Amino acid sequence: MNCYKTNLQYHSPCDSDNDWTESSDSKCTDSESSVPEWDSDVEEDGELTFIKVKANNVASQDAHTALLENCESFKLRTDFKRSSTRRSTKGRIFKALKSRKERNKSNIVKKKEYEENNKTVIVQVSKSMIFTSDNNCQIEKLFGISLDTHTDGRTLIVADFLPEAKPIYTPRVKIGYHLQKINGIEVYSYNINNILQRISEDVDSQVKLMFQDVSEQLNVDIEKLLLKTSPDNLVTQLLKDSMCSTLYICCNDMEYQSNDDKGVLYCYPRPFNQNFLYNTRGAYVTLNHLAPESLRTSKPLVSSLVHNSALINVAYATQNNDLFLFAVPNSRVDVLSLQIIITDIVQMIEFLYGSLKACFTKATNVDKLDGLFSRVFVSLLFGKQKPDRVDFQDVVGVHAVCLPLEVRIQVDDAITELEAADYREWTDEVENFQRMYTVIGACLYYSGHLLSSHLQDSDLKEMHAYLKLNGILQFSVQKDIEKLVMWREVFTNEYRNRNKCEHDYRIPDGRWFILVVGRGHFILATLMEAGGCTEDAVGITPPSPFYVEECESCVELLFDVGLDRYLASWLKSNSQPQLQLSPEILTKQGRKKENISLKSDIIRSATLKLSKSQLDIKRRHNSSEQINTGFENTMQMAHSTSHHNLYSQWHNKYRHSSVDVSYSEDSGSVKSTSEISEDRVIGRRADREQKCRRESSGSDSDWDKQDGRSSNVDVSDIRKSLLGELDNVKIQRITAGDENVLFHFVNLESERGILLAPVATIDNESSSAIYKYIISTFRTTCKRIHELLQHGIKFKKNHTPSNPLNKMLVGVKEYGMLFEVPQDLLAESGLHKKNESFSFWVVGRVISEPAARELYVCYHDSVPQDLTEIAYMLSYLG
Amino acid sequence: MSVMVIAVATESGVPIFSRKRGNMDNIQFSTIASLHGINMFSKCHNLSMLNTKLENGSILWKEYNKSITLIGIATGGLECDLELLLLYVHNLMIFCIGKKEIENLKNLEQVKRELRQCYPILDHLLEALDPNSVSQTSMFLDLIQSILCPQAQQLQQVLDNYAERVTGRWACLFISGYLVATSSDFYELDSIEAKLLMLLAASQDGAPLRETPVYLPQMSPNVAFRAVTCKLLADVYVLVICGATPALSEIDEIVLHCWENSAQLIKEAKLMYPRNFPISITFEPCILGFLIVNINRRRCVFSRHLHSNQKSKSMSGLHRIDILRTFFVTTAKELAPELKIADDGKECGSHSGPSETYWCSEYHKWHARRVGDLLACALYAPTVPTHTMRLLTNQLLQEISSSKDVYW
Repeated sequence: MNCYKTNLQYHSPCDSDNDWTESSDSKCTDSESSVPEWDSDVEEDGELTFIKVKANNVASQDAHTALLENCESFKLRTDFKRSSTRRSTKGRIFKALKSRKERNKSNIVKKKEYEENNKTVIVQVSKSMIFTSDNNCQIEKLFGISLDTHTDGRTLIVADFLPEAKPIYTPRVKIGYHLQKINGIEVYSYNINNILQRISEDVDSQVKLMFQDVSEQLNVDIEKLLLKTSPDNLVTQLLKDSMCSTLYICCNDMEYQSNDDKGVLYCYPRPFNQNFLYNTRGAYVTLNHLAPESLRTSKPLVSSLVHNSALINVAYATQNNDLFLFAVPNSRVDVLSLQIIITDIVQMIEFLYGSLKACFTKATNVDKLDGLFSRVFVSLLFGKQKPDRVDFQDVVGVHAVCLPLEVRIQVDDAITELEAADYREWTDEVENFQRMYTVIGACLYYSGHLLSSHLQDSDLKEMHAYLKLNGILQFSVQKDIEKLVMWREVFTNEYRNRNKCEHDYRIPDGRWFILVVGRGHFILATLMEAGGCTEDAVGITPPSPFYVEECESCVELLFDVGLDRYLASWLKSNSQPQLQLSPEILTKQGRKKENISLKSDIIRSATLKLSKSQLDIKRRHNSSEQINTGFENTMQMAHSTSHHNLYSQWHNKYRHSSVDVSYSEDSGSVKSTSEISEDRVIGRRADREQKCRRESSGSDSDWDKQDGRSSNVDVSDIRKSLLGELDNVKIQRITAGDENVLFHFVNLESERGILLAPVATIDNESSSAIYKYIISTFRTTCKRIHELLQHGIKFKKNHTPSNPLNKMLVGVKEYGMLFEVPQDLLAESGLHKKNESFSFWVVGRVISEPAARELYVCYHDSVPQDLTEIAYMLSYLG
Repeated sequence: MSVMVIAVATESGVPIFSRKRGNMDNIQFSTIASLHGINMFSKCHNLSMLNTKLENGSILWKEYNKSITLIGIATGGLECDLELLLLYVHNLMIFCIGKKEIENLKNLEQVKRELRQCYPILDHLLEALDPNSVSQTSMFLDLIQSILCPQAQQLQQVLDNYAERVTGRWACLFISGYLVATSSDFYELDSIEAKLLMLLAASQDGAPLRETPVYLPQMSPNVAFRAVTCKLLADVYVLVICGATPALSEIDEIVLHCWENSAQLIKEAKLMYPRNFPISITFEPCILGFLIVNINRRRCVFSRHLHSNQKSKSMSGLHRIDILRTFFVTTAKELAPELKIADDGKECGSHSGPSETYWCSEYHKWHARRVGDLLACALYAPTVPTHTMRLLTNQLLQEISSSKDVYW
């Protein structure tokens, strides 16, 4: 560490800033662009959340006003001027952005109206109609609806419709909507009688009732919640009503006595005495002590209890004798998912604050935590459009999708460029400039699906937990983001465990930050390190405009290539591998019902073949002639020995050159990098990359190893091929048999926390009721299979006989269930011929080598499938 | 693994009994009090604790008749059956001392003393949750182990005659703890009652003639019947439920009269043990163990001695029972939603259960299939392909359901 500092010409941040400012003035004439628009939103502790949604979406207006209100005193920071030293194209982008902004402004007024129309329903009722009411209640007589008062004591809620009135209101008005206005006058519980009186005296025979759709209002919340540090009362009330709660209790005797609330350090939603977890905390604390101490069992994980006739699950997490509780109603999150979610939450808190204790003991964190937990609850409760339970597939891992090789190359390339941070393009004075951050890695999402991750697995898990639980991913699915910037300090897994585990490299005494940048449906999350070979971050560290733009330009690059349009259609294309979305056409023999038509020509072969274009690209990328021939060999799968030799050759070459290839930025900016720092960087990345290599080596093919290693691809070339590609996307199939019998699959790499599955919205692509039934059965069944397979996975992981597991369950590696589509559903779909049944399998299998992996497949009963084979096929696509 | 059941008087908090199985320490009074306290305390806050999941087990609270709280703790076993266990334990308490006693709990010390007689049956119930031990009498909590034999129909006539002679109603015949034949109206009894009667007979092993007062939890929870067990041959017992008369000595004579002509029949039926299936039903050599359940009658037949010429190594044979049972309890039960406890039947409605299911491990394969009321679980050698498995199980099911020698 010291030796490299001496070797280096050290520049104080201020000095270098002056340099930057000078150069910026000369280069960039657009003075406005030097102050980023998010600058005023940086909070006192340096954190930033900035969101701007494209105006054609609902609720953009709210965000803007909220932003302005939130303005804090603007502090001039030493480094913000760096922004202007971007490459020359930047100016143009800024102008383009600005002109779009102008355009948006003009739309705003119109949108606001539209927005209101969207959320409210107006119903005209004639006063001449008088409904018979049992209760002799005026509102029932007049309008045929019965009302309830909301828990806030003011708002009126539609409780029920009288039978005669039902056709007037349904389906536009639903039970639970708020009655907002009558004839334009706002109504509340205290003025409703007056208003009814006035209406009955009124001459006009038509009465306009305005209802508010509450369910849609909830979607807006996420964005608001992201921006505000503490949630407003409405959200808190809502969470209270839906029986969500969280509590942190310090069970240490000392603090238990000193604390006013008997050891309760944090509780949400408040007030304390209305929180059921707070009121009954004694039960959980006792149980948490009793189970390991007196009963000699393991610690409790989840308790199920009934409160106000709702089944609620309470999850436990213990750390240093402190107890963290998290409760969600069972109707939204079942026991198994809750267990996973609470570990995610604990991980996220550790990621953000270092440890649970550090997080909850600081009184200043309370507002931030309120915001955090309100987002967690809202995303769990109202995350999905459908009133569905949280799916197993949503919680067990990061949802990745299969992409064609050329797209993967493209994405990896963009991220690699960001990580390389090769500054030589922007400044000539490389020698005098020490970078502020090292980019440790980044991951890119599109519409909630992971496209690529260059993070270590443990970091990715935590980053994903942060993005998911804060609702950022879900936000990127629902909204077309114009600009999203988030910045905050984190404590990486490596740093937290630096004393525990042995690495070949040393973690610097630095600080880590995450920078999340979003645009369109893309979310790019970057993990950065200050310290070690970069400048040390001291005190409050706001985001650096330079790095924000760097990330933005990375996303920009993807837009340039047209990846946004490509992905939008790719996610809908259902091609890699193709699923059978219309199960009706399959007969018992696994053939199509009628006309064996067009499609079967394209997909006759059951094996995977590379499309021609893919082949071309690979040729282009492989400079070495040897590899090309090796590639040919794999295609024939005959000369396996020679191709192994080739592989090892390539492998060795890569290993030796890895320093120059991947880390050229080090030699670029810090010319004489010391051995220590180089070792560290290589260690960490090489760790990850070596792992990747090891994993993919099972698939025995050369072209697998080539991903992302091509830094010299011509962008324009690729773009052409990309856009042209979608028309003739090669459809891939992974099941055996003449017809495609695959309904769904999930490939879970539990060690890495990555889950490969078709797009989350796949069931919307099919109009078939049978398909929807199959998918919902698949999802619930997967959960059961997963639970059982965990016995074996856990056993293999720690091999501890002390843990008294049920030994019978440990050996199970495959678990299948056959289901039948109910007859009435078949009849609805016009398939009720000859009493023929329609059956499908849901099968799960553990593949324990090299790392534990679970594969879940759902297919038609007609053709027996081998899961090992399917897993093998999938490994080529993933 | 360990299973424990604790009974506490709900109001007073006085522990009534605690029984355990497995390597658990004896539970202390303070622990019982705390466990009960958790339930009582949360109830004060309008909240009821149902269960708590542990890493390898669970704790379950259940209150019955507002008078007795049962707490079940199971680790490393078949804890999915814990709720069922508590239901059976509660029914057993009624079975022994009657519903009134349990509701009133007037003389707690006496209740405690009286309940002591049900400990042997209680221990049999706990065995059902232990995956590592083979219990002859209670492999499954809710199913009665049986032997299928062609003689059952003739035996039924004898049983009917016998029941009539002792002015009783329900009678059944056991061989080595397995149910062989029943009187024709035996299925009027609730499945829990039938199971408890069978366990009662099993716990009275050895006595030539014995009478026990029993309360039938569904039929007559408040008025006691007399359960009379009588030893006919070695390992062969006949059980009859009757009123206060005739006296035991009279019954002794009736038994002799009714059964002396059936000795040959019983001996023939006894030959079925331990294969438990009629000889006319044959099994493929790749089938290592077989279990068939008549869901409607709550009876099951299990066999690991399927092949007459094969000398099964006792260790692996016992292991087969365990693993097939574990398969049934954790998985194959899904095929029979009827076997689930009734009160939370909401969830089974949305998705009808699977019709077939299987497991694979390195050493075995399991397959279960249901047709009508019959559910078959078979244990296969690992080399058998999945589709062959399906074919073989289906064939067996067909054979059993159409066989003339099978009489449930």
